[in-house]
Amino acid sequence: MIQFQNVSFSYDSAQSVVENLSFTIGKGETVGLIGANGAGKSTIMKLLLGLIQGQGEITVDGLPLNKQNIPAIRQKIGFVLQDSDNQMFMPTVYEDMIFGPRNYGLSKEETERRVDDVLNRLGLSELKHRYNHKISGGEKRMAAIATILAMEPEMILMDEPSTALDPVNRRTVINTIRQLPQTKLIASHDLDMILDTCQRVILLSHGNIVADGDAEAILRDKALLEANRMELPFCLQGYPH
Amino acid sequence: MHMADALLAPAVAATMYAASTVTVGASVKQLRKDEATAKLPTMAVTSALVFAGQMINYTIPGTGSSGHLCGGMMLSALLGPQAGFLSMVVILTIQCLFFADGGLLALGANCWNMAFYGCFVGYYLLWKPIMRSKLFSKMGTKAAGRSKIILASVLGCIITLQLGAFSVVLETSLSGITELPFGTFVGIMQPIHLAIGLIEGLITSAVLVFVYEARPELLMDVNTGDAAVQSKYSLKTTLMILAVVVAVVGGGLSLVASSNPDGLEWSMFGNAEAGYSENMGLDEEDYGISSGAAEVAGSIQEKTAFLPDYAFANSDSAAGTTVSGLVGSAMVAGAALLICMGGGFFRKKKIAANS
Amino acid sequence: MDKLSQAQSELREMDALAASDSPVHRLHPLCKLLVTVCYIVTVVSFPKYDFTGLVVMVLYPILLFQAADIPVSTCFYKLRVVLPLVCAVGLVNPFLDPTPWMQLGNLTVTGGVVSMVTLMMKGIFSLMASFLLIATTPMDSLCAALRKLHVPSILTTLLLLTYRYIGVMLEQVSVMTEAYKLRAPGQKGIHISAWGSFLGQLLLRSMDRAQELYDSMLLRGFQGEFFYADVPPCKASGIVYTLVCVLAFAVARLVPVTSLLGNLFVG
Repeated sequence: MIQFQNVSFSYDSAQSVVENLSFTIGKGETVGLIGANGAGKSTIMKLLLGLIQGQGEITVDGLPLNKQNIPAIRQKIGFVLQDSDNQMFMPTVYEDMIFGPRNYGLSKEETERRVDDVLNRLGLSELKHRYNHKISGGEKRMAAIATILAMEPEMILMDEPSTALDPVNRRTVINTIRQLPQTKLIASHDLDMILDTCQRVILLSHGNIVADGDAEAILRDKALLEANRMELPFCLQGYPH
Repeated sequence: MHMADALLAPAVAATMYAASTVTVGASVKQLRKDEATAKLPTMAVTSALVFAGQMINYTIPGTGSSGHLCGGMMLSALLGPQAGFLSMVVILTIQCLFFADGGLLALGANCWNMAFYGCFVGYYLLWKPIMRSKLFSKMGTKAAGRSKIILASVLGCIITLQLGAFSVVLETSLSGITELPFGTFVGIMQPIHLAIGLIEGLITSAVLVFVYEARPELLMDVNTGDAAVQSKYSLKTTLMILAVVVAVVGGGLSLVASSNPDGLEWSMFGNAEAGYSENMGLDEEDYGISSGAAEVAGSIQEKTAFLPDYAFANSDSAAGTTVSGLVGSAMVAGAALLICMGGGFFRKKKIAANS
Repeated sequence: MDKLSQAQSELREMDALAASDSPVHRLHPLCKLLVTVCYIVTVVSFPKYDFTGLVVMVLYPILLFQAADIPVSTCFYKLRVVLPLVCAVGLVNPFLDPTPWMQLGNLTVTGGVVSMVTLMMKGIFSLMASFLLIATTPMDSLCAALRKLHVPSILTTLLLLTYRYIGVMLEQVSVMTEAYKLRAPGQKGIHISAWGSFLGQLLLRSMDRAQELYDSMLLRGFQGEFFYADVPPCKASGIVYTLVCVLAFAVARLVPVTSLLGNLFVG
């Protein structure tokens, strides 16, 4: 589904943010992207969405990422932002949900069907006509996921989907992620959530891939994690004696 | 400086609405569509921030009081005059609707008094020429930039506030609301706003200088490396513009100094109440009513006397009407009170029933 | 309470009022906007001594408050913004205009007093009317009405977007103000040494926010167009409401209702 081949990016020529990255993500995979602050997680997502241009080759579903293909690629990929306030800019949840589909030229009826379908699936029907500035943080995060699902993307990128949520809301988001059939790439510091949702993990450090493989194997490797400014997920640390 | 509806006669309010509407139209047109849509998020977030930022109290050293930020100057320095003006219009609309800060009918006047001067006059007359000039060029680029920002913001705030305050006086006086002589009113408003302008200018420049140090590319007309552009605004031009500005300010100040209304002012602004609407082009009949309908409109206008009449006919027959008018008023007031109490009663009952 | 939290609670309150339901809330936003403008124009068009004529106009907001199920008192604290300016202008009238208006026993009521009272009433009435408009009409419906009036879409969209982010920004500013206050006890405001950096920091962050916001629009295929929920068409009730109100205002403006009413009793 996604292929990065020798991709590099730097804001100024002195220091590159990501360097010579190569990896592939297959259809239906759920991949966790972990690494310390500044390791290059957000940069990878922005590169993939064509928000920034780097060197090297990126292909999405066989389409090489270039100016011509960007609209088609963006239609395939949904991006859930870390700050839901930046994602939900329309007055109501409903208007935010129709923003993507209508902009991609879908008919009113089809859009309407998708909105109701997504809201029903996520159990959010009650939110439909609520105002974005009046819903709670947890509701806003779920609504942001709903706006992305209404576009029926083939792949979903998520930037810190579990931050600033209370335990119940966090659990709701995790359960939702687990149910989504799409290919998913999730960047997070919440390693417990990654362990709960991902089969595969890519560990980044200073713009390089340090480890790429089975989620449990990497997340149990205390030495590897600590060498890269991380620690074991809390659920694997055991209770203090 | 937000005006309430009560301070404006409908004709003056309509004129100001027309002026502001034309400016909005021109701004929308000048901002090319693609540029405008790309700028929309920045405009929205910045206006929301300016709105909130205007509620921050800045302590004025040496005094117990505090000052506030000047929105118009800051927005046009960040977004340019057109986008800045539209953002200010939006801020003023929200202040009017949700906080009763300025009236709905007075919105046109408020947009003119605060947004138009702040954005267009402030930008084209001060910010742009000063920022593109070679002023302070001996100090080195960074220091020169800082000095120019301070100069432009302070001068800009003072002058745009002076213009705004003067417009408030003018609009109120034209509406025939106050008995205060024009000269006295000006004499009160201008000096107050001179002080406010100075403080607002300093606060605004502090914020803009910070932005300049951190991310100069966010400001308009900064780092225009293009030599051709720079040479267009030579020191000479700037000095000439500054001279005009000084003359305007000086003129304003001398007007302030003469708190007694002199003959000229009265002949301009207070003269012949019947005639001033024509003089100032405030005739209702001109607003979109074609000549065919003009007569009808004229007769309606006579009946409704849209511009409150100065003259008060205190004839004997009027006295009788007054008494019955007062009695009737008392009855209406009583009815209103009853309605209120009745409503309150039913509401309480409903709440009781619901609980 | 400081200005910021005051603004936050006022916004919340207006939102809550607009979200409730009543016959007034259900009226078409365009009708409400037109009637409100007509009302304010009528009120301010009363001559400055026509106190008795103006009194009738109180009935519209009072009745509407009842129909909308909102206590009249809710809007009174907003008067603190309006009245000072109106008073400042109006209070000088009694001193400058000693023309006798009427004689009540030994008391001479001067024209200045009457014009001052009239001016204040105009201020209060127009405030009540615009308060009612926004207390019964959510912002997005109002913008839909403005779009119907061919207000440029840039302006209505900007209005909605700004309104959307005012809450977010107020929150950020108040968090920063709190943090500042906690480290600077006894200071009333922001010290001159932080004049620039305080709002400047926020401004830089806001610019990043704006960029991310725009990205999130682009990622969803934004091409300059916004799509809104459909506004139900204007029903007959809305048209009747508008006509009745405008007619009533015209009558109140042209016919000295209170005088006629008083004549019935005084003779």
